[in-house]
Amino acid sequence: MVTETVTMMDPAGLQAIGAALAVGLTGFASAYAEKEIGTAAIGAMAENESLFGKGLILTVIPETIVIFGLVVALLML
Amino acid sequence: MRLLQKFKRGYSSDSKGNTNYAYTIPRVRAMKSKLLPKETYPRLMNMSIAEITRFIGESGYKEDVDELALTYDGVDLIEHSLNRNLSVTFRKLLNISEGEVHFLISEYLRQYDIWNIKTILRGKYCGASTKETLEAIVAGGTLTYTFLSGLAAKGSYEEVLSEFEGTEYYPILKDYNGTNLSDIENQLDKLYYAGLFAVAGGSKSKDRKLFAKFIRAGIDIKNLMILFRLKKAGITNPQMSNLMVEGGLEIEPKDIEKLMPLSFEEFIQELDSYSYWKEISDVVNPGMQSLIDVETRLKKYRLKSAASFSHVYPLSIVPIMDYMLTKQNEVNNLRIIVRGKETNLSDEVIREQLVI
Repeated sequence: MVTETVTMMDPAGLQAIGAALAVGLTGFASAYAEKEIGTAAIGAMAENESLFGKGLILTVIPETIVIFGLVVALLML
Repeated sequence: MRLLQKFKRGYSSDSKGNTNYAYTIPRVRAMKSKLLPKETYPRLMNMSIAEITRFIGESGYKEDVDELALTYDGVDLIEHSLNRNLSVTFRKLLNISEGEVHFLISEYLRQYDIWNIKTILRGKYCGASTKETLEAIVAGGTLTYTFLSGLAAKGSYEEVLSEFEGTEYYPILKDYNGTNLSDIENQLDKLYYAGLFAVAGGSKSKDRKLFAKFIRAGIDIKNLMILFRLKKAGITNPQMSNLMVEGGLEIEPKDIEKLMPLSFEEFIQELDSYSYWKEISDVVNPGMQSLIDVETRLKKYRLKSAASFSHVYPLSIVPIMDYMLTKQNEVNNLRIIVRGKETNLSDEVIREQLVI
């Protein structure tokens, strides 16, 4: 008699992997974008200090990417 | 950090490595925004030399004026401050750039080495004093100010030439016999452009292609100005085409061959087929007395096209080249105003010369 073992993945585990990917990948994306913008902001600020405010705001704008990732992750869990 | 940069650049420190455009370009753009705006020049025209010195001393040239105020005064102070500022600015560009762009800028700045060698030889040729020669020195290239001032202080041109032994300039300089200065100057210029093309043509990188295009557009303007001067002087000898620089974007050697034997009137008619014509058509006519208007127009066009070129390729070497050109122009304009005022030229004459 042949017995068949069926392995099943825990749906909660898959959900957790999905959530981790959502946060992790968007984290990388916003880090990359912030790196570029931050470098440019520092370059401009080195010449003109009054650009600090604008530079700071522009640098954190890509942060929204990871926030969306976080929202998606929370919805998944 | 420096060690890290060195590793990134590689040991040869020339064309290897990537350029950090995200840092360099915004910084250069911020530097460009600090240049004197167009509206400043009419104001400067109404000032005396002392007022101009003060104005410049409160603008981007503050450090230079402060430093040199102990040694020089009046027009000399402005002249030296402008030259010092120009060389400090170009050195700064070299310091904030890395990789390919750093290498290309340093090649471009060789024009100042050539300029300085020419200035010193001219100084020796006409027996100028060391002080007079130093006024025209811009240590923006690879040769340092200390080395150049040492050369300017030498007694004869032979001593100057011996200092260049072993350099790439020596094969040309060794033929200088005290009389053939224009020939040597011409050859030095050609060496400069040959060097640039050797650098730009060697690789297929985007930066080098844009660099070559930028240089070639500049050569066109230069050639046009030489042609205008030759034609105005009534020179039609095809032999004179050795004064021209080869490698222009639109005006190629075959065009030069075609334009060379023409008279001034025919030359103007022929120019109709080039894109530069629309920029200069309203100031060019067969009976024109002075070429100042045409040359100013061409220079203006060069600046304008460099600026728009830099907007087409925002993350490339072009915005840096555009900045260098604009900075050189600012310094030239200030020098024109100051020297014009010193020699009591009328405001009208000075205004004609300005490239705004």
